[in-house]
Amino acid sequence: MPRPEAAKSTLPQPGRPVPSRAYPGALIVVEGTDGSGKSTQLYLLKRWLEIGGYRLHFTEWNSSPLVKSATRRGKQRRLLTPTTFSLLHAADFADRCERQIMPLLQGDYLVLADRYIYTAFARDASRGCPPRWLRNLYRFAPIPDITFYFRAPLDIAVHRILSGRPKLKYYEAGMDLGLSYDRAESFRLFQARILEEYDKMVDTDNFVVLDGTIPVNKLQKQMRDIVASKIDLKRFAPHAAEAE
Amino acid sequence: MTDQEKEKEKSAAALTATADATSAPVPGTATKTPTEEEASQYFYGEALVGFDPSEITGSLIVIEGMDGSGRSTQIALLQEWLESEGFAVQTSGLRRSNLVGRDIDELLAKNAVTRLTLSLMYATDFFDQVEHRILPALRSGTVVLADRFIFTLIARGVVRGINRDYISGLYAMALRPHLTFWLNVRPETAFAREFKKAQAISYWEAGRDMSLSHDLYWSFIRYQTMIKREFEVMAKRHNFIELDGEASVSSVNKQLRQRIAEQLGIRATKYSPSAALAHLWR
Repeated sequence: MPRPEAAKSTLPQPGRPVPSRAYPGALIVVEGTDGSGKSTQLYLLKRWLEIGGYRLHFTEWNSSPLVKSATRRGKQRRLLTPTTFSLLHAADFADRCERQIMPLLQGDYLVLADRYIYTAFARDASRGCPPRWLRNLYRFAPIPDITFYFRAPLDIAVHRILSGRPKLKYYEAGMDLGLSYDRAESFRLFQARILEEYDKMVDTDNFVVLDGTIPVNKLQKQMRDIVASKIDLKRFAPHAAEAE
Repeated sequence: MTDQEKEKEKSAAALTATADATSAPVPGTATKTPTEEEASQYFYGEALVGFDPSEITGSLIVIEGMDGSGRSTQIALLQEWLESEGFAVQTSGLRRSNLVGRDIDELLAKNAVTRLTLSLMYATDFFDQVEHRILPALRSGTVVLADRFIFTLIARGVVRGINRDYISGLYAMALRPHLTFWLNVRPETAFAREFKKAQAISYWEAGRDMSLSHDLYWSFIRYQTMIKREFEVMAKRHNFIELDGEASVSSVNKQLRQRIAEQLGIRATKYSPSAALAHLWR
Protein backbone atom coordinates (compact mmCIF):
# COMPACT_ATOMS: atom_id res chain seq x y z
CA MET A 1 0.00 0.00 0.00
CA PRO A 2 1.42 3.41 -0.85
CA ARG A 3 2.52 5.38 2.16
CA PRO A 4 0.87 8.74 2.73
CA GLU A 5 2.92 11.47 1.13
CA ALA A 6 5.03 13.52 3.49
CA ALA A 7 3.79 17.04 4.05
CA LYS A 8 5.24 19.39 1.47
CA SER A 9 8.16 21.34 2.85
CA THR A 10 7.32 24.90 3.68
CA LEU A 11 10.99 25.87 3.80
CA PRO A 12 11.59 28.96 1.76
CA GLN A 13 13.33 28.59 -1.57
CA PRO A 14 16.58 30.48 -1.96
CA GLY A 15 15.96 33.85 -3.49
CA ARG A 16 12.21 33.77 -2.99
CA PRO A 17 10.65 36.03 -0.41
CA VAL A 18 9.76 34.00 2.63
CA PRO A 19 6.03 33.85 3.40
CA SER A 20 5.42 35.28 6.86
CA ARG A 21 4.33 31.98 8.45
CA ALA A 22 6.10 29.28 6.50
CA TYR A 23 7.41 27.59 9.65
CA PRO A 24 6.27 26.97 13.23
CA GLY A 25 9.28 28.50 15.07
CA ALA A 26 9.78 32.15 15.95
CA LEU A 27 12.60 34.55 15.22
CA ILE A 28 13.67 37.42 17.47
CA VAL A 29 16.48 39.70 16.35
CA VAL A 30 18.29 42.66 17.88
CA GLU A 31 19.75 45.49 15.84
CA GLY A 32 21.47 48.78 16.54
CA THR A 33 24.80 50.52 16.19
CA ASP A 34 27.92 49.34 18.02
CA GLY A 35 27.62 50.36 21.66
CA SER A 36 23.82 50.56 21.66
CA GLY A 37 23.58 47.83 24.29
CA LYS A 38 21.86 45.27 22.07
CA SER A 39 24.16 42.31 22.73
CA THR A 40 23.89 42.70 26.52
CA GLN A 41 20.13 42.82 26.26
CA LEU A 42 19.91 39.81 23.97
CA TYR A 43 22.17 37.88 26.33
CA LEU A 44 19.87 38.68 29.25
CA LEU A 45 16.82 37.70 27.22
CA LYS A 46 18.53 34.44 26.32
CA ARG A 47 19.36 33.74 29.99
CA TRP A 48 15.75 34.40 30.95
CA LEU A 49 14.48 31.94 28.35
CA GLU A 50 17.20 29.37 29.08
CA ILE A 51 16.48 29.41 32.79
CA GLY A 52 12.81 28.94 31.96
CA GLY A 53 13.78 25.88 29.91
CA TYR A 54 12.53 27.12 26.55
CA ARG A 55 13.68 25.54 23.28
CA LEU A 56 15.97 28.10 21.75
CA HIS A 57 18.98 28.67 19.60
CA PHE A 58 21.25 31.70 19.59
CA THR A 59 23.09 32.87 16.49
CA GLU A 60 25.33 35.85 15.85
CA TRP A 61 26.48 37.78 12.81
CA ASN A 62 29.65 36.62 11.12
CA SER A 63 30.10 33.35 12.92
CA SER A 64 30.13 30.65 10.26
CA PRO A 65 33.45 28.78 10.12
CA LEU A 66 32.92 28.23 6.42
CA VAL A 67 33.82 31.72 5.27
CA LYS A 68 35.73 32.84 8.35
CA SER A 69 39.16 32.36 6.79
CA ALA A 70 38.19 34.36 3.70
CA THR A 71 36.81 37.19 5.80
CA ARG A 72 39.91 37.24 7.96
CA ARG A 73 42.23 37.27 4.96
CA GLY A 74 40.21 39.97 3.23
CA LYS A 75 40.34 42.16 6.29
CA GLN A 76 44.00 41.60 7.09
CA ARG A 77 45.15 42.33 3.56
CA ARG A 78 42.50 44.99 3.05
CA LEU A 79 41.27 43.34 -0.09
CA LEU A 80 37.62 44.05 0.60
CA THR A 81 35.65 46.61 -1.38
CA PRO A 82 32.09 47.64 -0.44
CA THR A 83 30.78 45.05 -2.90
CA THR A 84 32.92 42.09 -1.83
CA PHE A 85 32.58 43.02 1.85
CA SER A 86 28.84 42.83 1.40
CA LEU A 87 28.87 39.59 -0.61
CA LEU A 88 31.18 37.78 1.76
CA HIS A 89 28.95 38.61 4.70
CA ALA A 90 25.93 37.54 2.67
CA ALA A 91 27.62 34.20 1.92
CA ASP A 92 28.30 33.76 5.61
CA PHE A 93 24.73 34.62 6.49
CA ALA A 94 23.35 32.31 3.78
CA ASP A 95 25.33 29.44 5.25
CA ARG A 96 23.94 30.06 8.71
CA CYS A 97 20.48 30.66 7.33
CA GLU A 98 20.33 27.45 5.31
CA ARG A 99 22.02 25.24 7.85
CA GLN A 100 20.83 26.64 11.20
CA ILE A 101 18.16 29.33 11.17
CA MET A 102 15.74 27.81 8.66
CA PRO A 103 15.98 24.21 9.88
CA LEU A 104 15.51 25.39 13.48
CA LEU A 105 12.52 27.53 12.59
CA GLN A 106 11.09 24.57 10.73
CA GLY A 107 11.85 22.42 13.79
CA ASP A 108 9.78 24.72 16.02
CA TYR A 109 12.59 26.52 17.84
CA LEU A 110 12.79 30.02 19.19
CA VAL A 111 15.74 31.56 17.35
CA LEU A 112 17.55 34.58 18.78
CA ALA A 113 19.82 36.52 16.44
CA ASP A 114 22.38 39.11 17.48
CA ARG A 115 22.27 41.27 14.36
CA TYR A 116 20.43 40.25 11.24
CA ILE A 117 19.99 41.42 7.65
CA TYR A 118 19.30 45.00 8.78
CA THR A 119 22.92 45.24 9.92
CA ALA A 120 23.95 44.57 6.34
CA PHE A 121 21.38 47.03 4.97
CA ALA A 122 22.59 49.81 7.29
CA ARG A 123 26.30 49.14 7.11
CA ASP A 124 26.63 48.29 3.41
CA ALA A 125 24.38 51.16 2.34
CA SER A 126 26.64 53.43 4.40
CA ARG A 127 29.52 52.09 2.32
CA GLY A 128 27.67 53.05 -0.86
CA CYS A 129 26.11 49.76 -1.98
CA PRO A 130 22.82 50.36 -3.84
CA PRO A 131 19.91 49.70 -1.42
CA ARG A 132 17.90 47.86 -4.08
CA TRP A 133 20.76 45.47 -4.73
CA LEU A 134 21.15 44.86 -0.99
CA ARG A 135 17.46 44.13 -0.52
CA ASN A 136 17.60 41.57 -3.29
CA LEU A 137 20.76 40.01 -1.91
CA TYR A 138 19.04 39.04 1.34
CA ARG A 139 15.64 38.17 -0.08
CA PHE A 140 15.99 34.57 1.06
CA ALA A 141 16.03 35.52 4.76
CA PRO A 142 12.95 34.83 6.91
CA ILE A 143 11.30 38.01 8.23
CA PRO A 144 11.70 38.20 12.04
CA ASP A 145 8.71 38.01 14.37
CA ILE A 146 10.23 40.82 16.42
CA THR A 147 13.06 43.15 15.45
CA PHE A 148 14.31 45.14 18.43
CA TYR A 149 16.16 48.29 17.45
CA PHE A 150 18.32 49.61 20.27
CA ARG A 151 18.74 53.27 19.70
CA ALA A 152 21.41 55.23 21.54
CA PRO A 153 22.59 58.75 20.72
CA LEU A 154 25.74 58.73 18.63
CA ASP A 155 27.96 60.27 21.33
CA ILE A 156 26.97 57.73 23.96
CA ALA A 157 27.39 54.73 21.65
CA VAL A 158 30.73 55.93 20.30
CA HIS A 159 31.99 56.67 23.80
CA ARG A 160 31.04 53.17 24.97
CA ILE A 161 33.10 51.63 22.18
CA LEU A 162 36.09 53.97 22.26
CA SER A 163 36.52 53.78 26.03
CA GLY A 164 36.40 49.99 26.05
CA ARG A 165 38.64 49.22 23.09
CA PRO A 166 42.31 50.09 22.77
CA LYS A 167 42.37 50.09 18.97
CA LEU A 168 39.64 50.09 16.38
CA LYS A 169 40.09 47.74 13.44
CA TYR A 170 40.39 49.11 9.91
CA TYR A 171 37.00 48.08 8.53
CA GLU A 172 35.29 48.47 11.89
CA ALA A 173 36.31 52.12 11.87
CA GLY A 174 35.17 52.48 8.25
CA MET A 175 38.69 53.49 7.20
CA ASP A 176 38.01 52.05 3.74
CA LEU A 177 35.54 54.87 3.15
CA GLY A 178 38.22 57.54 3.34
CA LEU A 179 36.20 59.71 5.72
CA SER A 180 39.15 60.68 7.90
CA TYR A 181 42.74 59.65 8.59
CA ASP A 182 41.94 59.53 12.30
CA ARG A 183 40.46 56.17 13.25
CA ALA A 184 38.29 57.44 16.07
CA GLU A 185 36.95 60.27 13.93
CA SER A 186 36.37 57.92 10.99
CA PHE A 187 34.49 55.53 13.29
CA ARG A 188 32.29 58.36 14.50
CA LEU A 189 31.43 59.51 10.98
CA PHE A 190 30.79 55.93 9.86
CA GLN A 191 28.53 55.23 12.85
CA ALA A 192 26.59 58.43 12.16
CA ARG A 193 25.84 57.17 8.63
CA ILE A 194 24.80 53.77 9.96
CA LEU A 195 22.52 55.34 12.55
CA GLU A 196 20.85 57.33 9.79
CA GLU A 197 20.30 54.16 7.73
CA TYR A 198 18.83 52.32 10.72
CA ASP A 199 16.44 55.18 11.41
CA LYS A 200 15.15 54.95 7.85
CA MET A 201 14.09 51.33 8.43
CA VAL A 202 12.07 51.86 11.63
CA ASP A 203 8.74 52.11 9.79
CA THR A 204 9.45 50.11 6.65
CA ASP A 205 10.71 47.10 8.60
CA ASN A 206 8.54 47.31 11.71
CA PHE A 207 11.31 47.87 14.20
CA VAL A 208 10.44 47.89 17.89
CA VAL A 209 12.50 50.87 19.03
CA LEU A 210 14.02 50.68 22.52
CA ASP A 211 15.95 53.41 24.28
CA GLY A 212 19.51 52.14 24.72
CA THR A 213 20.30 54.72 27.39
CA ILE A 214 17.95 53.61 30.18
CA PRO A 215 19.23 51.29 32.96
CA VAL A 216 19.96 47.73 31.84
CA ASN A 217 17.44 46.00 34.10
CA LYS A 218 14.60 48.38 33.17
CA LEU A 219 15.34 47.93 29.49
CA GLN A 220 15.38 44.16 29.92
CA LYS A 221 11.99 44.29 31.63
CA GLN A 222 10.57 46.13 28.61
CA MET A 223 12.12 43.62 26.27
CA ARG A 224 10.73 40.62 28.15
CA ASP A 225 7.26 42.16 28.31
CA ILE A 226 7.25 42.71 24.56
CA VAL A 227 8.47 39.18 23.84
CA ALA A 228 5.83 37.70 26.16
CA SER A 229 3.08 39.75 24.54
CA LYS A 230 4.05 39.10 20.93
CA ILE A 231 5.12 35.48 21.02
CA ASP A 232 3.22 32.50 22.30
CA LEU A 233 6.04 31.36 24.57
CA LYS A 234 4.07 28.40 25.91
CA ARG A 235 4.72 26.61 22.64
CA PHE A 236 8.45 26.66 23.32
CA ALA A 237 8.18 25.73 26.99
CA PRO A 238 9.52 22.42 28.36
CA HIS A 239 7.15 19.47 27.90
CA ALA A 240 4.94 21.54 25.63
CA ALA A 241 5.23 18.79 23.03
CA GLU A 242 4.08 16.04 25.41
CA ALA A 243 1.19 18.10 26.70
CA GLU A 244 -0.27 18.51 23.23
CA MET B 1 54.63 60.68 -25.92
CA THR B 2 51.49 62.65 -25.03
CA ASP B 3 50.46 63.21 -21.45
CA GLN B 4 47.53 60.91 -21.93
CA GLU B 5 49.75 58.07 -23.03
CA LYS B 6 52.03 58.67 -20.09
CA GLU B 7 49.03 58.42 -17.81
CA LYS B 8 48.10 55.11 -19.38
CA GLU B 9 51.57 53.74 -18.87
CA LYS B 10 51.52 54.79 -15.27
CA SER B 11 48.23 53.05 -14.60
CA ALA B 12 49.48 49.94 -16.39
CA ALA B 13 52.46 49.92 -14.05
CA ALA B 14 50.17 50.35 -11.06
CA LEU B 15 48.17 47.38 -12.27
CA THR B 16 51.11 45.00 -12.11
CA ALA B 17 52.14 46.28 -8.71
CA THR B 18 48.64 45.61 -7.25
CA ALA B 19 49.62 47.96 -4.46
CA ASP B 20 46.51 50.01 -5.20
CA ALA B 21 44.42 47.28 -3.61
CA THR B 22 45.95 47.81 -0.21
CA SER B 23 46.35 51.57 -0.10
CA ALA B 24 43.75 53.45 1.89
CA PRO B 25 41.50 55.94 0.13
CA VAL B 26 42.38 59.56 0.57
CA PRO B 27 39.80 61.54 2.53
CA GLY B 28 37.99 64.19 0.53
CA THR B 29 38.53 62.51 -2.85
CA ALA B 30 35.30 60.53 -3.08
CA THR B 31 34.52 59.58 -6.69
CA LYS B 32 31.32 60.80 -8.26
CA THR B 33 28.43 58.42 -8.76
CA PRO B 34 27.52 57.83 -12.40
CA THR B 35 24.06 58.78 -13.68
CA GLU B 36 21.49 56.04 -14.22
CA GLU B 37 21.99 56.29 -17.98
CA GLU B 38 25.73 55.86 -17.67
CA ALA B 39 25.19 52.99 -15.27
CA SER B 40 22.94 51.08 -17.68
CA GLN B 41 25.47 51.50 -20.47
CA TYR B 42 28.16 49.74 -18.49
CA PHE B 43 26.19 47.56 -16.08
CA TYR B 44 23.17 45.26 -16.14
CA GLY B 45 21.59 47.17 -13.31
CA GLU B 46 23.32 49.32 -10.79
CA ALA B 47 26.81 50.79 -11.06
CA LEU B 48 29.59 49.57 -8.82
CA VAL B 49 30.51 51.80 -5.91
CA GLY B 50 33.00 54.42 -7.07
CA PHE B 51 32.76 53.59 -10.80
CA ASP B 52 33.74 56.33 -13.26
CA PRO B 53 32.77 55.52 -16.88
CA SER B 54 35.11 58.09 -18.40
CA GLU B 55 38.06 55.98 -17.29
CA ILE B 56 37.14 52.91 -19.35
CA THR B 57 39.46 52.65 -22.36
CA GLY B 58 39.94 48.87 -22.70
CA SER B 59 37.66 46.14 -24.03
CA LEU B 60 35.99 43.32 -22.14
CA ILE B 61 35.64 40.16 -24.18
CA VAL B 62 33.92 37.13 -22.69
CA ILE B 63 34.18 33.53 -23.84
CA GLU B 64 31.47 31.29 -22.43
CA GLY B 65 30.77 27.63 -22.96
CA MET B 66 30.67 24.38 -21.01
CA ASP B 67 33.73 22.43 -19.93
CA GLY B 68 35.20 20.85 -23.03
CA SER B 69 33.92 23.56 -25.38
CA GLY B 70 37.46 24.78 -26.12
CA ARG B 71 37.37 28.03 -24.14
CA SER B 72 40.82 27.88 -22.61
CA THR B 73 42.43 26.80 -25.88
CA GLN B 74 40.87 29.75 -27.70
CA ILE B 75 41.84 32.19 -24.98
CA ALA B 76 45.49 31.08 -25.08
CA LEU B 77 45.52 31.58 -28.85
CA LEU B 78 43.70 34.91 -28.71
CA GLN B 79 46.09 36.22 -26.09
CA GLU B 80 49.07 35.38 -28.29
CA TRP B 81 47.42 36.95 -31.34
CA LEU B 82 46.48 40.15 -29.49
CA GLU B 83 49.92 40.50 -27.96
CA SER B 84 51.54 40.04 -31.35
CA GLU B 85 49.26 42.86 -32.55
CA GLY B 86 50.54 45.01 -29.70
CA PHE B 87 47.61 44.86 -27.29
CA ALA B 88 48.04 44.40 -23.55
CA VAL B 89 45.95 41.45 -22.41
CA GLN B 90 44.57 40.51 -19.02
CA THR B 91 42.67 37.28 -18.36
CA SER B 92 40.13 36.38 -15.73
CA GLY B 93 38.20 33.26 -14.87
CA LEU B 94 36.17 31.58 -12.17
CA ARG B 95 37.83 30.96 -8.79
CA ARG B 96 40.87 33.05 -9.66
CA SER B 97 40.40 35.86 -7.13
CA ASN B 98 42.94 36.49 -4.41
CA LEU B 99 40.12 37.00 -1.97
CA VAL B 100 38.21 33.70 -2.11
CA GLY B 101 39.52 31.66 -5.04
CA ARG B 102 41.17 29.08 -2.83
CA ASP B 103 38.35 29.07 -0.33
CA ILE B 104 35.95 28.00 -3.05
CA ASP B 105 38.33 25.22 -4.09
CA GLU B 106 38.25 23.99 -0.50
CA LEU B 107 34.47 24.21 -0.25
CA LEU B 108 34.12 22.22 -3.45
CA ALA B 109 36.58 19.60 -2.27
CA LYS B 110 34.77 19.16 1.02
CA ASN B 111 31.36 19.18 -0.63
CA ALA B 112 29.97 20.62 2.59
CA VAL B 113 28.26 23.69 1.30
CA THR B 114 24.71 24.64 0.38
CA ARG B 115 23.84 25.93 -3.08
CA LEU B 116 23.05 29.47 -1.95
CA THR B 117 26.28 29.90 0.00
CA LEU B 118 28.26 28.53 -2.93
CA SER B 119 26.53 30.95 -5.31
CA LEU B 120 27.37 33.86 -3.06
CA MET B 121 31.00 32.76 -2.74
CA TYR B 122 31.24 32.64 -6.53
CA ALA B 123 29.70 36.11 -6.66
CA THR B 124 32.32 37.34 -4.19
CA ASP B 125 35.07 35.77 -6.31
CA PHE B 126 33.59 37.38 -9.43
CA PHE B 127 33.36 40.91 -8.03
CA ASP B 128 36.79 40.70 -6.43
CA GLN B 129 38.19 40.05 -9.89
CA VAL B 130 36.04 42.78 -11.45
CA GLU B 131 37.27 45.36 -8.97
CA HIS B 132 40.87 44.31 -8.58
CA ARG B 133 41.71 42.87 -11.99
CA ILE B 134 39.18 43.66 -14.71
CA LEU B 135 38.39 47.31 -13.96
CA PRO B 136 42.02 48.38 -13.41
CA ALA B 137 42.89 46.66 -16.72
CA LEU B 138 40.03 48.36 -18.57
CA ARG B 139 41.12 51.70 -17.15
CA SER B 140 44.56 51.22 -18.67
CA GLY B 141 43.34 50.32 -22.15
CA THR B 142 43.93 46.59 -21.78
CA VAL B 143 41.94 43.90 -23.56
CA VAL B 144 40.40 41.63 -20.94
CA LEU B 145 39.70 38.04 -22.01
CA ALA B 146 37.28 36.51 -19.54
CA ASP B 147 37.20 32.72 -19.39
CA ARG B 148 33.53 32.46 -18.38
CA PHE B 149 31.46 35.22 -16.83
CA ILE B 150 28.23 35.77 -14.94
CA PHE B 151 26.29 33.60 -17.41
CA THR B 152 27.81 30.34 -16.22
CA LEU B 153 27.24 31.40 -12.62
CA ILE B 154 23.61 32.34 -13.30
CA ALA B 155 22.96 29.08 -15.18
CA ARG B 156 24.48 26.95 -12.42
CA GLY B 157 22.37 28.69 -9.78
CA VAL B 158 19.14 28.52 -11.76
CA VAL B 159 19.40 24.79 -12.53
CA ARG B 160 19.85 24.25 -8.78
CA GLY B 161 16.56 25.98 -8.07
CA ILE B 162 17.74 29.43 -7.13
CA ASN B 163 15.29 32.05 -8.29
CA ARG B 164 16.33 33.55 -11.63
CA ASP B 165 15.49 37.13 -10.67
CA TYR B 166 17.40 36.74 -7.45
CA ILE B 167 20.59 35.58 -9.06
CA SER B 168 20.35 38.07 -11.93
CA GLY B 169 19.87 40.79 -9.33
CA LEU B 170 23.02 39.61 -7.63
CA TYR B 171 24.95 40.37 -10.81
CA ALA B 172 23.20 43.67 -11.51
CA MET B 173 26.52 45.36 -10.77
CA ALA B 174 28.45 43.21 -13.25
CA LEU B 175 30.08 45.03 -16.16
CA ARG B 176 28.47 44.53 -19.55
CA PRO B 177 31.02 42.88 -21.85
CA HIS B 178 31.79 44.48 -25.20
CA LEU B 179 31.52 41.04 -26.81
CA THR B 180 30.20 37.76 -25.43
CA PHE B 181 31.02 34.61 -27.36
CA TRP B 182 29.29 31.33 -26.66
CA LEU B 183 31.17 28.25 -27.80
CA ASN B 184 28.28 25.86 -28.15
CA VAL B 185 28.95 22.12 -28.13
CA ARG B 186 26.81 19.06 -27.53
CA PRO B 187 27.21 17.60 -24.00
CA GLU B 188 28.27 14.29 -25.58
CA THR B 189 31.19 16.00 -27.34
CA ALA B 190 32.13 17.84 -24.16
CA PHE B 191 32.11 14.56 -22.24
CA ALA B 192 34.43 12.89 -24.73
CA ARG B 193 36.86 15.83 -24.72
CA GLU B 194 36.89 16.19 -20.92
CA PHE B 195 37.31 12.48 -20.38
CA LYS B 196 40.19 12.40 -22.81
CA LYS B 197 41.85 15.28 -20.98
CA ALA B 198 41.73 13.91 -17.42
CA GLN B 199 40.62 10.27 -17.77
CA ALA B 200 37.86 11.19 -15.33
CA ILE B 201 34.90 13.51 -14.86
CA SER B 202 34.78 15.66 -11.75
CA TYR B 203 31.97 15.60 -9.22
CA TRP B 204 30.83 19.17 -9.95
CA GLU B 205 31.22 19.02 -13.72
CA ALA B 206 28.86 16.08 -13.71
CA GLY B 207 26.44 17.91 -11.41
CA ARG B 208 26.59 15.01 -8.97
CA ASP B 209 25.24 17.23 -6.17
CA MET B 210 21.93 17.32 -8.04
CA SER B 211 21.25 13.55 -7.80
CA LEU B 212 20.32 13.33 -11.48
CA SER B 213 21.71 9.83 -12.00
CA HIS B 214 24.08 7.42 -10.30
CA ASP B 215 25.60 6.82 -13.69
CA LEU B 216 28.33 9.38 -14.16
CA TYR B 217 27.84 9.66 -17.90
CA TRP B 218 24.12 10.30 -17.67
CA SER B 219 24.58 12.64 -14.76
CA PHE B 220 27.02 14.69 -16.85
CA ILE B 221 24.79 14.71 -19.94
CA ARG B 222 21.63 15.65 -18.04
CA TYR B 223 23.36 18.35 -16.03
CA GLN B 224 25.11 19.93 -19.00
CA THR B 225 21.89 19.78 -21.02
CA MET B 226 20.12 21.75 -18.29
CA ILE B 227 22.92 24.31 -18.29
CA LYS B 228 22.77 24.52 -22.06
CA ARG B 229 19.06 25.26 -21.96
CA GLU B 230 19.75 28.19 -19.63
CA PHE B 231 22.35 29.45 -22.06
CA GLU B 232 19.85 29.31 -24.90
CA VAL B 233 17.54 31.55 -22.88
CA MET B 234 20.35 34.01 -22.09
CA ALA B 235 21.84 33.97 -25.60
CA LYS B 236 18.93 35.97 -27.00
CA ARG B 237 18.59 38.33 -24.11
CA HIS B 238 22.27 39.22 -23.91
CA ASN B 239 23.28 39.15 -27.60
CA PHE B 240 25.66 36.23 -27.41
CA ILE B 241 27.71 35.57 -30.50
CA GLU B 242 27.12 31.85 -30.84
CA LEU B 243 29.91 29.83 -32.44
CA ASP B 244 29.94 26.14 -33.23
CA GLY B 245 32.37 24.78 -30.67
CA GLU B 246 32.56 21.49 -32.57
CA ALA B 247 34.26 23.11 -35.55
CA SER B 248 38.05 22.97 -35.82
CA VAL B 249 40.15 25.08 -33.46
CA SER B 250 41.49 27.16 -36.34
CA SER B 251 38.09 27.92 -37.82
CA VAL B 252 36.59 28.92 -34.44
CA ASN B 253 39.67 31.04 -33.80
CA LYS B 254 39.30 32.78 -37.14
CA GLN B 255 35.70 33.76 -36.38
CA LEU B 256 36.71 35.02 -32.96
CA ARG B 257 39.54 37.11 -34.43
CA GLN B 258 37.25 38.68 -37.01
CA ARG B 259 34.74 39.90 -34.44
CA ILE B 260 37.40 41.04 -32.01
CA ALA B 261 39.33 42.90 -34.70
CA GLU B 262 36.12 44.70 -35.59
CA GLN B 263 35.60 45.63 -31.96
CA LEU B 264 39.15 46.90 -31.55
CA GLY B 265 39.10 48.74 -34.85
CA ILE B 266 42.04 46.90 -36.41
CA ARG B 267 42.31 45.24 -39.80
CA ALA B 268 44.84 42.52 -39.13
CA THR B 269 43.19 39.18 -38.48
CA LYS B 270 45.92 36.92 -39.92
CA TYR B 271 47.46 34.65 -37.35
CA SER B 272 49.19 31.34 -36.99
CA PRO B 273 50.31 30.13 -33.60
CA SER B 274 53.91 30.15 -32.43
CA ALA B 275 55.75 26.89 -31.83
CA ALA B 276 54.76 27.06 -28.16
CA LEU B 277 51.07 26.92 -29.01
CA ALA B 278 51.20 24.93 -32.24
CA HIS B 279 49.97 21.80 -30.48
CA LEU B 280 46.61 23.52 -29.88
CA TRP B 281 46.06 24.15 -33.58
CA ARG B 282 44.02 21.22 -34.82
